[in-house]
This record gives sequence, structure tokens and C-alpha cells, in this order.
Amino acid sequence: MAAVDMPIVSGHAADAHGDPHAMYLKAKKGWASWVWTLDHKRIGLMYLTMVSLAFLVGGVFALLVRLELFTRGRTIMDAETYNRFFTLHGSVMVFLFIIPSVPAALGNFFLPIMIGAKDVAFPRLNMLSFYIYLLGLTIILTSLVMGAVDTGWTFYTPYSVQTANSVISMTMGVFVLGFSSILTGVNFLVTVHTMRAPGCTWNRMPLFVWGMYATALIQILATPVLAITLLLLATERFFGIGIFDPKLGGDPVLFQHFFWFYSHPAVYIMIVPGMAITSELIATFSRRAIFGHFAIAMSSIALAVLGFLVWGHHLFVAGMSEFATMLFSALTFLVAIPSGVKVFNWTATMYKGSILWASPMLYAMAFIFLFTIGGLTGLFLGTLSVDVHLTDTYFVVAHFHYVMMGGTVIAFLGGLLYWWPKMTGKMHDERKAKIGFWFVFVGFNTVFIPQFIMGSRGMPRRYYDYLPQFQPFHQASTIGSWILAIGLFTTAYTLLEALWRGKKAPRNPWGSAGYEWMTDTPPPLANYHTSPVFTRGPYDYHLATPEELSTGWDEVEAPAQGKK
Amino acid sequence: MSNVIEPAQPASHDDHDGHSGAHPHFLQHHFDTPAQQFEAAKLGMWVFIATEILMFGGLFCAYAIWRGMDPAIFDQAHHFLNKKMGASNTVVLLFSSLTAALAVRSAQRGKRNETTAYLIVTIVCAFAFLVIKYFEYTHKFHLGLLPGHCFGHPWFSGAIQNGQEVGSCLRIHADAPAGSPEWVRAIDESGNLQVLPPRANMFFGIYFCMTGLHAVHVIIGMSILTWVLIKNIKGQFSKEYFTHVDLGALYWHLVDLVWIYLFPLLYLVGKPE
Amino acid sequence: MNEPNEPPTFQLPEQMSTVAGDIDWLYYFIYWLSVVLFVAIVGTMIYWAIKYRERKGHKAEPTGHNLPLEVAWTVAPIFILAFLFHKGFQGYMDMAIAPANAIEIHVNAKQWAWEFVYPNGGSSAELHVPVHRPVKLVMGSTDVLHSFYVPALRVKRDVVPGMYSSVWFEATHVGHDDIFCAEYCGGRSTGPSGELPYEPSDDPRNPYPPGQATGHWAMHSMSFVETPEDYEKFLKSIGDKCDQYLTQGKPCPADIAAEQGLRLYGAKGCLACHTTTGAPGIGPTWKGIWAKKESTNVGQVTVDENYVRESILDPQAKIVTGFGPVMPTFRGQISDAEIGELTAYIRSLK
Repeated sequence: MAAVDMPIVSGHAADAHGDPHAMYLKAKKGWASWVWTLDHKRIGLMYLTMVSLAFLVGGVFALLVRLELFTRGRTIMDAETYNRFFTLHGSVMVFLFIIPSVPAALGNFFLPIMIGAKDVAFPRLNMLSFYIYLLGLTIILTSLVMGAVDTGWTFYTPYSVQTANSVISMTMGVFVLGFSSILTGVNFLVTVHTMRAPGCTWNRMPLFVWGMYATALIQILATPVLAITLLLLATERFFGIGIFDPKLGGDPVLFQHFFWFYSHPAVYIMIVPGMAITSELIATFSRRAIFGHFAIAMSSIALAVLGFLVWGHHLFVAGMSEFATMLFSALTFLVAIPSGVKVFNWTATMYKGSILWASPMLYAMAFIFLFTIGGLTGLFLGTLSVDVHLTDTYFVVAHFHYVMMGGTVIAFLGGLLYWWPKMTGKMHDERKAKIGFWFVFVGFNTVFIPQFIMGSRGMPRRYYDYLPQFQPFHQASTIGSWILAIGLFTTAYTLLEALWRGKKAPRNPWGSAGYEWMTDTPPPLANYHTSPVFTRGPYDYHLATPEELSTGWDEVEAPAQGKK
Repeated sequence: MSNVIEPAQPASHDDHDGHSGAHPHFLQHHFDTPAQQFEAAKLGMWVFIATEILMFGGLFCAYAIWRGMDPAIFDQAHHFLNKKMGASNTVVLLFSSLTAALAVRSAQRGKRNETTAYLIVTIVCAFAFLVIKYFEYTHKFHLGLLPGHCFGHPWFSGAIQNGQEVGSCLRIHADAPAGSPEWVRAIDESGNLQVLPPRANMFFGIYFCMTGLHAVHVIIGMSILTWVLIKNIKGQFSKEYFTHVDLGALYWHLVDLVWIYLFPLLYLVGKPE
Repeated sequence: MNEPNEPPTFQLPEQMSTVAGDIDWLYYFIYWLSVVLFVAIVGTMIYWAIKYRERKGHKAEPTGHNLPLEVAWTVAPIFILAFLFHKGFQGYMDMAIAPANAIEIHVNAKQWAWEFVYPNGGSSAELHVPVHRPVKLVMGSTDVLHSFYVPALRVKRDVVPGMYSSVWFEATHVGHDDIFCAEYCGGRSTGPSGELPYEPSDDPRNPYPPGQATGHWAMHSMSFVETPEDYEKFLKSIGDKCDQYLTQGKPCPADIAAEQGLRLYGAKGCLACHTTTGAPGIGPTWKGIWAKKESTNVGQVTVDENYVRESILDPQAKIVTGFGPVMPTFRGQISDAEIGELTAYIRSLK
């Protein structure tokens, strides 16, 4: 790539942060350089480490919950412990893992690079965001030690006001985490508005960035409502304000409205980044621009907006008026359209492409497979009369795991495998990655398809024990969880192994036309050696030069092609 | 076929003394121009203000819902709020918003001492607000107009109900069955003995939540302005660079604006008497 | 639609109510629609992933545009979704409004058991209903959220403390099904001396024996749909309140709750302010007010069980126009059962 010796435009503070041309992991050394770092890439890696640990903790809770459900009666734990474990599984996974995951780890790392910027708009705020995350994590751990919570991650009143557990510390931990999410959103929004490099018009902006932008919108507008909801719950518990307590004149259903006003948009904070990654993967591994680029970009914004209008579909049997239920059902169907548009566009992108069956692409195709199931099962739940039968059963549990895990987590894993060489400079072992993928894919379906069936047959959720007719489904589901766990551990091992045994990665191992692949692998501290000007789109394979697309595998062995 | 990355045109940044040309000392390394940095900072603050509005929005929503369900309570309970103190607080905050705006203007004109003066006045006003609030709150506690479980238990003046001494509010909380079954009798701000139905605790719950959260933001705003004041005294601002003053004042205007809504909704609405 | 007597399918339980047929039809419509869409999308994806796989001599073609196609697949789903919405809403409205001649059974939910109170005042832990008669359940909770769920009847409704919620159904054939609580409501598995024993039984009627760890999952009961004769027999077996009449040689009143309500009318002192003759007193008369739309100081209210309860516990909340705010509260002086009996009495005063 033609490099011109032109120093980066910088103020004199640049030297305090290291040589802008040095590789970002080498620019400064020592643990202090990590603790006080302002580099979005390092912050992204620190987030990645923490959310991975959170995923491990949440996953262990899940495995234990499923183990308890393997047989009727008491299997490994008593009911109170079970109630705490499923609550912790949900809370840890939602607040400590999935909401920060893609934006804070991958978004932090790649958003500035993808728009040709040197960093995010507010690097110190970014660091603060990370430390607030750590503070929230600590408060939640305190809650765990003090007896944890057994309300379900949704903290419904009046039970959450009455139960003798550490609800206040748990909710205050989540409150603190909310600020981390908000500040990330503020940072991303301002960065995209004010720091795009010349030539990076809105039309040329990568779809991953569009996804991060839409997610930032939701984070900014929805999370404050969660903050006030949890504050009100805490004051209710501590002072007995009475806002949710019927004995004091309050309304328990009001809590549900407040809670879901945030938590429904929150699920779009979870899925839109996953969709954003999928766009990148499909384009790169089909060697083709995404079909309907504008529609995909706009559908992310549409999901962000429409996502605020459908919270009532969590309350169809809770006690809303018929008028309200009708309205929410209609709006819920409306919000299905942008998701459908994306799935059609991704599939169409593969038409007459040149498809590389590398491990990230396997995950991208799995995303389409699993998210389609998740989305279609949402149709059952949006249909009022059918929802009456299915709500609060395992059908709902299976639905949201298909979209959150089969969607976001699958995309996250694909994104990790895709961008691992970029972030670390090392290539992972593709064969192990693919083996891990198949265990994940098969395991995941084995866990959750039986749950659809037992749900529609009447098995309610959050049950410590069950009637005999549901046992075969529960056992199949638990066995699936072990297969899934093997796959996840294999994938984690593959990624970690690459760090010490992986081959040095070429600049562009996948031959992508994306902007982030045009700079060094791994990137220099200031992301680019020269201030970039973008002269083509990130998916313009017909405009990119052969040199830009060269994978460099001619000189090195090509694990991407499955050769050893 | 074009490269995606082209080198930027050489800018006039040959000097690296850091204090002139395109390299002012306050320009952060990841921004290209001071204008870009200022725009980003301003946009960031406005976006953050949007989040604060949404957070208070939840409380205003709760207010609207309860007012809709129980207008009678709201009609009566406002008599227990001291309108004089509330109005004084409004005047204090409005005045402080003026001085905050004037501080920005002096900073814009590079007048350091003037800026310092205006910032100090603003902070003093904020402190005055909190003092008035302290008196309001303690008077309510004295009357037993506490939120929730504590409603009806005069905290400071030794709780007596139905001729029996009742324990402290927080001890009661642990084994209290439900709200206050008895009528609460209290003297309102005009000196009249008023009888409040048990559900009046809801009004006071909302009152304390909203004004309490607002007071927390007043403290946050004061801290921000104090920090800005210190930076100003140290001479870190100039005509070209006064972002902190601008954004600090912007935040303060939000704090004032929330109170402008709180005051009439809590203190002024309801049946006159 | 006629009322089919479908046995359970792989995905859905037996159809035991009048609405189950429509709901199941809609469920399977969505199911097959989903199967078709899924096979189309995923099938195409896999087909193209194989057909256009990267290999020597094969190059990707630049992406074109096809606006008509994009518009088509954005607009066409709207019609299908509108159909689903319409059918779902229709079905939901059918389930929302109980017929006027429905038998009313009261449901008290508490941690962790169901109590069903029948028109004759008797109560049982199980639900018995006659076949081919609409039944309306008026439900309340005394502690936390619960949810009444009977899969075979396709009914589910949250039970919220502080208000009454209701659900209705008409059973189509004799049989039984489980009643589950479908809203998490906690549990207890430790007693004073540590962990409580827990051993579920295989008795479908009583899978969770008492005295053990219990909670949300164990809030189980059974719903029995019976012939009218068997239903009457059941009512007699629980109608202990009839005894006080039978021992005096009087017949058991048809509406025993209302009879009790009449007794309370005097015992609680309501008669001091409310007449049952139609003439207003210090308070409004009770004659003919049931289901009436009254204007109050806060707008119009319908006189239903929620308003009666509120007026007894919180009389200043909504005062009928023309009357003063003088009614005292009975909070702490009246039980939920007695409120129900007074409600039944007011309702009987046509």
C-alpha cells in the first residue's frame, strides 16, 4: 500500500500517549499503560476480557440451572438456590455481558478505524465508561456475596419489594452499569457525527458503523428510563414510597411498564450490533457489496425508533386495556419488517458472490439460520390470542434465546474470529474454529428446540421442578447444553491458543475491501499512518485494487482456504 | 483503480511549538481542528442532557399517572408545600442561570476575573437553593409527611399515635403491615388543620423523589461549576477556548429547567384555598 | 366454528374450550408460514453458498440494484402480518368479554396455592366447572403477582394484588387439565432447621405434597370440567355455608354470598348511610347501581367489583357527584371475603 511519509496531525500531547506509528500493543508497555490508557483499541480489549469473563460466569449459572432440571425433584440444588441461579444467569448475561459486548468490545476497537478517525470523540470518557463498568460489576458481585437476588432478571413488583434478598445492591449495580452504557452511546454518536474522515460520507460509512450508531441512539434514550425505574424500585424497598405497592396505593403493573420501556429497546441494543457484524461478514465472505446497502442502514435506524413503541407486548396478559393491547400488537408486527428486510438483503448478497466457507462465514450463515427462527417465533408471540397461550412459558424462553444467543452471541463469535487477526496480529487455527462452530450450532439447537415444544405444550417458565410429561424435553435440553459448552470452550481455546501459537497474520487475511483491513494488522496507535481520505466504499470490490485485496497468503500458508 | 486511502494534503503544521497555528495547546491529539473538537464537545453535552431529560421524564410520567388516578390527593396535598420557599428557590435558580450565561459571555470575551465572579455567584445561588430545601424538608419531617412507610410518623418530635408512643420510622418499617390506616392530621402552611387520607403518602413519595433527584443534580451541577471555576482561576481558558464554561453552564441550565417544571406541577396546581 | 374435540397434537395440548380451535388454527397457520419462509430463506442461502463457493476461475459479480424487489419484500409481508394481527386481535377480543350469563367463580391466589370460591360460598383448592356453560373467573391476590394458566383451555391471565382481573371460558367436553401459576412468585426451601425435604409425587392430582419445599412451580391445581349433575354434586359437597340454613329448616339460598352480604349490610353499619330502596341517604342508594355508570368528582366510573372494593377501603378516591366526602374507611376492619359478599349483595339489588 502506498505509504507517504507524512506525520499525523497532532498536538503535543501525542508523545505522552506513545508513538502514533508504533503498533498499538507496543506503543507503550507495562501494566500502568493499560490502566491509564486512552487508546480505544486497548479499552476495547479490556472490555472484551471482562465481557468474556461475564459470559463464563453467566454460562456456568446456565449449565447449573439446566443440570438441576435434568431430573424431577431435587437434582443438585434446593429451590431457593435455583431461583437465585436463574436470576443471576439472566442478570449477568443481560447487563454484564450482552449489552456491552459488541459495542464496548468490538465497537470501541473498530468504529474509529472504520470512519478513518484516530480515536473516539471522548477518549477519557471512554476510559471512564470502562471503570464505571468495573464499579457496576463490583457492586453486583457484592450483591452475590450478600445472598443475591431471586426475583428473575426482570425484578417484578411486588415480589421484588418484599423478598428478603439483596435487591437494592443488585439494582444499584445495574444502575451504575447503565451509565457505562450511556457514556459509550454518547461517545459513539458524537464520533460518527463529527469525526468521519474526508470521503467517509454517510452513504459510504460501513454498515457496522451504522449499526453502532443506531445502537448508540437506543442506549442514550432508553437507559435513563431503566435508571429511574431501578431508583424507584430501590426507594420503594428502602422507604416504602408506595409507587408499586398496592397496599400503599400503588400499582405493581406500572413497574412492568417502566421496566419494559427500557428493556424492550434494550433487546435492540443487543441484536442490532449482531446484525451489524453479520453485514460485514456476509460482504467480505461473498466478495460482494451488501445488496440493498441503504435499506440495511435505514432498517437499523427503523429498529431503533420502532423498538421504543412496542414494550407493551410483554404485558399482554398483565392487565392492560384491550385498546392498548391492540395497539402494541399492531406495532409489534410493524417492527418485524426491518428485521425481515435485513435477512432478505443478506441472502441476496450471496447471489453470484464468491463464498468463502471460513469460520466467520459459518457463524454468519448460522446467524441467518438461527435469527430467522427467533424472529419467526416472535410472530407467534405478537399474535394476541396465540400469545395468551404461549406467554410465560418455555416458548418465550426459547424465542429470546434464539434471537439473543442464536443472534447476537453467534454474530459476536463470528466477529471475534473475523477480527481476531486484526486485533492481535495472529491467525487462529481454522480447523479448531470450525469444529467449535459445529458443536455450538448443534448444541444450541438441541438446547432450545425442545423448549419451544414444551412451551407450547404448557410448560411454564422459571420452574424449579416440572410434571413428568415434560421430562424428556428437559433432558434433551440439558444434554444440548453440554454440547454447546464444549463448542464454546473449544472456540475460546482456539482464540487464546492463537495468541501464543498462532501464525503471524498478513494485513488482510480474508481479502476484504473493508476500510479496517487497509491499515496495518494490528493497527498503529493512531490507526492509520497517514490521515485517510476514502475514495471508494468499503464493499466496492470492483473498485479496490488487487493489492488492497491481497490476502498475502502467497507468501504464507493459507489456513483460510483450509490448507495446512 | 483508486486506493481507498490517500495521503492527506500537507497542512500548515510545520511548527511544533504547540502554541500557535493549527496546534493550539488545548487541541487534543485525536481531533484535527479546534472547531471539530468544540463541536464534538457541544454535541456530546447536548446528547447527555437528552439522557437526563429522559430520566426525569420517567418521574414526570409517574406524576402524570398518579395525578390522573388520584386528583383529589393532589388537590389537597399541595397545601403542605411552602409556596414561598418554592418561589424563592425558583427565583434563586433563574438568577443563577442568568449569572451562568453571563459567565459564558465573559469567558467568550476573555475576561477571566468577570468569569470568576459570575461563576462564584452561580455557585452561591445553588448553595442557597440547597439551604432553602433543607428547611423545607426538615419541616416536612417534623410534620410526619414522610414518604411511604414513614407517612404519619413525625420523625423528630417523638411519634405519638392513638395515644401510644410509636417507634422510630425506620424501625417501624421492618414490621409495619401496610401504609397508615389512620387519618393523618397535620397543620398546613396556612396554619389550618387538615385531614389527609391515607393515600396522600403517594403525593409525598413523588414529591420527595422528584425534588430529591433534582437536589442531587443541583449538587452535581455545583461540583461541575466549582471545577470549572478552579480551572478558570488557574487561567486555563481563553477567548478561543472556554468549552468547559460553556458546557458547565449548559448543564446548569438543564438543572434550572427541570425545577421550572417541578415547581408549578408540585406547588402550584390544585384547588386554591 | 364448531367446537372440535381434538386430542393433543405434538405441539399443542388437548382443546377443551370454545376458543381453542381458533387459537390452534392460527398457531398452525403461523407455524406453516414460518416453515415455508424458513425453508425458502435458509434453503436459498445454503444453495447459493454451495453454488457460488469460492473456487478457481470463479469470480464474484458486482452487486446490482433491484428496487422493485426490495419494495416487494418490504411491502408484501405487511399484508401477511396485518392478517395475523387481525385474527389475533379478534380472538383476543372473544376472550376478553364474558357472556352475561357466565357463572362467576372467585379465585384467590396466594403464595403458593389457589383457592376457588363458588357462588354458593363454598371454597375448594380445585376448580370445577360444568361443561358447555360460560364461566367467569374473578381473580385477586393478597401478596404478589401470580398468573392463572390452564393450557387445555388456552386461558392465561395475571393475578395482580390490589385489583381484580378476570378471564372467562366455556369448556367443550368433560375432562381435566392442570392449573399452573405462570408468573414467578418466589419459593421457600429452607425451614427453621435448614433445607426442607423435597420429593414430588407421581400423583397427577397432587404432584407436590404439602410440608415440603414449595413455591412458584408447586402452585399447582387441577381444573375439572364436569357434567352439570356432577358439578351440582361438587357444589353441595363444599357448600358448608348452606348448613346454617339447613339446620334451621330453611332452604339453601341460591346466591349465598349475597345473603351473607345482606347480613354484613347491617353488621358493618352500611345501613346508616346507604338504603336499598332507591332513596338516597347520606350516601348513594345501592338499589340498581350495579354496572351503572356514575359520575363522580373525578369523572365517570362503572360500578363494578373494583369500584365497590375501592369505596370500602378508600372512600375518598371517587365520590359520586352530589355526595360529600364523609364515608369512613373500613381498611383493617373487613376481610376480602366479606368485601366479596357485600359485592354480591349489591349486585343482587336490581
